[in-house]
Amino acid sequence: MAIQYRFLLASVFVSCLVATCYGGVSFKTLQTTLAVTATHKEGVLKAGLDNITVTWALDPSAPAGADASYKTIKVKLCYAPVSQVDRGWRKTKDDLTKDKTCSHKIVAKPYIAGGAVATATWTVQRDVPTAKYFVRAYAHDAADVELAYGQTTSVDKKTNLFDIEAVTGRHVSLDIASICFSAFSVVSLFGFFFLERRKTRIAEAK
Amino acid sequence: MEISHGSYNQKKFALPVDSEHKATEFRLFSAAAPHMRAFHLSWISFFACFVSTFAAPPLLPIIRDNLDLTATDIGNAGIAAVSGAVFARIAMGTACDLFGPRLASATLTLLTAPAVYCTSIADSPISFLLVRFFTGFSLATFVSTQFWMSSLFSGRVVGTANGVAGGWGNLGGGATQLIMPLVFDLIQNIGATKFTAWRIAFFIPALFQTLSAYGIFFLGQDLPDGNYSELHKSGEKHKDNFAQVFHHAVTNYRGWILALTYGYCFGVELTIDNIIAQYFYDRFNVNLHTAGIIAASFGLANLFSRPGGGMLSDFMAKRFGMRGRLWTLWVVQTLGGVFCIILGQVGSLGVSVAVMLVFSVFVQAACGLTFGVVPFVSRRSLGIISGMTGGGGNVGAVLTQVIFFRGSRYSTETGLTLMGVMMICCTLLITLIYFPQWGGMFCGPSSKGKTTEEDYYMSEWSSSEREKGFHRASLKFSENSRSERGRKIGSAATPIDGTPNTYV
Repeated sequence: MAIQYRFLLASVFVSCLVATCYGGVSFKTLQTTLAVTATHKEGVLKAGLDNITVTWALDPSAPAGADASYKTIKVKLCYAPVSQVDRGWRKTKDDLTKDKTCSHKIVAKPYIAGGAVATATWTVQRDVPTAKYFVRAYAHDAADVELAYGQTTSVDKKTNLFDIEAVTGRHVSLDIASICFSAFSVVSLFGFFFLERRKTRIAEAK
Repeated sequence: MEISHGSYNQKKFALPVDSEHKATEFRLFSAAAPHMRAFHLSWISFFACFVSTFAAPPLLPIIRDNLDLTATDIGNAGIAAVSGAVFARIAMGTACDLFGPRLASATLTLLTAPAVYCTSIADSPISFLLVRFFTGFSLATFVSTQFWMSSLFSGRVVGTANGVAGGWGNLGGGATQLIMPLVFDLIQNIGATKFTAWRIAFFIPALFQTLSAYGIFFLGQDLPDGNYSELHKSGEKHKDNFAQVFHHAVTNYRGWILALTYGYCFGVELTIDNIIAQYFYDRFNVNLHTAGIIAASFGLANLFSRPGGGMLSDFMAKRFGMRGRLWTLWVVQTLGGVFCIILGQVGSLGVSVAVMLVFSVFVQAACGLTFGVVPFVSRRSLGIISGMTGGGGNVGAVLTQVIFFRGSRYSTETGLTLMGVMMICCTLLITLIYFPQWGGMFCGPSSKGKTTEEDYYMSEWSSSEREKGFHRASLKFSENSRSERGRKIGSAATPIDGTPNTYV
C-alpha cells in the first residue's frame, strides 16, 4: 500500500513538472514585421454567412533577413479590448501560451518568402460569439514558436475593429418542443390532482 | 408484501416497524413499499433536481459565448440558482405538513421542469438568469425528501435514512459536471453545431426530472399507513391548522439555530459547487476538463460522506443520545471550517486537491449530522422546521458568495480562508441548543418537573386539540424518541404514570 501510494505521488509530481517545462514566448518580444489587412462587407458580419478576406505580407520596412526563419503564418480572429471587459476567459496575457486574446483560427499557411501578398477568404464560423474583433497574423518558425506578428488594428487595439454577430443556436423546432414539453408537464400535474381527488372521493364513498 | 388499505391494525410490512409503523431498519438494497420504495423515489427525484440546477456550470464555456455573458452575469446567475430555493424550501415544509411529501414534491418537480425545458430557448443574460432562478426552486425537494424519510423511518435509523437520501441527491451536483459535457459531446457528434447542441442537451435533465415526478406520484406513499388525503378522509390523520403549525415552528429557537448552522455546511457546499472549477482553472492553470473532474469529485464525495454523517449521528445517539448527536455535529462542522481555511492557504495542486477532498467529507458529513437532529426539534411542525433549516442552507450559500466570491475584493483563496473562519464562528451556536428532556452540549437534562419527551412534544398541542385527539401521532413519536436518552437511562425524569392516557 505504501509503495503504491509513493508511486502515485511521484507520478503526480513528475507530471506537474512536465507541465511547467513549456514556458511561453513573451508577446512583447515579438517584432511587428507583417502587414495584415482584412476586408469584409459593411456593417455587422453574421457568423456562418459572411466572409472575411485577409491578406498578409512582409512589411516593406522590415529589416532585411527578418523573415529568414519564418515557416508558417497563422492568421487568427482576436477580441478587441471592449469585448474582453469582465470576461476573464478572453484575457490578454504576455505569455503567449496563456494568452486568450486570439482564440479563433482563421487560416494557417506556409510562409512564402519574396514579399508577395498572400490572400485567404474565410467564412465566419458558426461558433464565433458576438463581439468586436480585429485580425492578427503570427509568423512561426519550424518549431512552431512565434517570431513576429502583424495586425489590422493599432497598438492600443482601438481602431479598425469590426463586429460579428453570433448565430443564436435556436431553431423553431426546439422552441416548439420546449413549449410543448413544458405545457405537458403542467397539464399532467393538473391531471394528477384530478386523479387524487377521484381516489379520495371513491374512498369516501366506501 | 402487499399493504391492504383496509383495517388499520392488520397491515403487514416488509421491514420491522415500531408503533407508528415507521421502519426500524434501513435496508438499502430493498425496494419494498412503502418505506424503501419511498426512499429510492425521493433520492432519485432530488438527484434529478440537483442535476438540473447545476447543469449550466459545466457548459458555461459554450453558453457564455452564445449568450454574450460577462463574468458578472455568470456570478449573478449562480447566486440566483441558489437563492430561489430559500423561500421555496420553507414553503415546501409547509406544504409537506399540510398535503404530504408525495404531492408536494411531485408538484414542485413538475412545476420547475418547464424552467429546465425553457433553458433551451434562453437568448440573453436576463433570460439565462431567470431560467437558473426558477430551476433552482426545485432544490426545495430536499425538504420533502427529509420530511418523507422522517415520516417513514424511526429515530434509530432516521439519521441514516436522511443522510443517504440527502447525500445521494446532492450527488447530482457532482454527477452533472460529468453528465452534461458527455451529453453535449454526443449531440455534437450527431451533427448539431455547438450553440444548438447545448440547448438540446438540457432536455435530458428536464425529462429525467419529469419522469421522476411521475414515479413519485404513482408509486409513492406519504405515510406507512397511506396517503395524507386518504388518511384525512378516514379521520386517522387530521388536517392540521396552518397558523398553529407555523407558530410552533417559528417560536422554536432550535429551528433558527440549526437553520443558521446548516447555512455553514450545506451553504458552503453549494458555494464550492459554483466556484471550485474556476478556482482550480485560474490558480493552478489546469485545463477545463481537469477542472471539471476536480469539481465533480467534490460533489461525488456525497456518495458516502453525507450518509456517513447520518450514520454517525445514529451511532452516537445509541450510546450518548441527543447530546452525542450535538457534540458530533459541532466537532465535524468545526473541523470542516478548519480544512476550509487550510484549502485557501495551500499553494500546490496536489495538496490542494487532497485538502479539498478531506474538506468535502467533513462539510458533507456535517450536513448529514444536522438532519440527525432536525427530526427531533418538533413533531407537529416537522415540515416547516425542515424547510427553515433547508432554506437556511441556501441563505448561507447566497451570503458566502456575495461576501467572499463576488467582484474582486478578495482573491478566491482569501475568500476560502475567510469562509472557513466564518464557518467555525457560526458553528459555535450549536452549544446553545438545549432539550429539557435530553440536555444540550454542556448541560444534562433538566431535573425539574415537566421534562419528559411527552412534555416536550405535547407542549405543541393545546388542551382543546388534545381533547379532540389530534396529538396522537406526536404521542407515539415521543414514546419512540426515548431512544435519544442514550444508554445511560435514569438521568431523565421517570415517565409520567398514566397521565398521557387521559388524552387518548
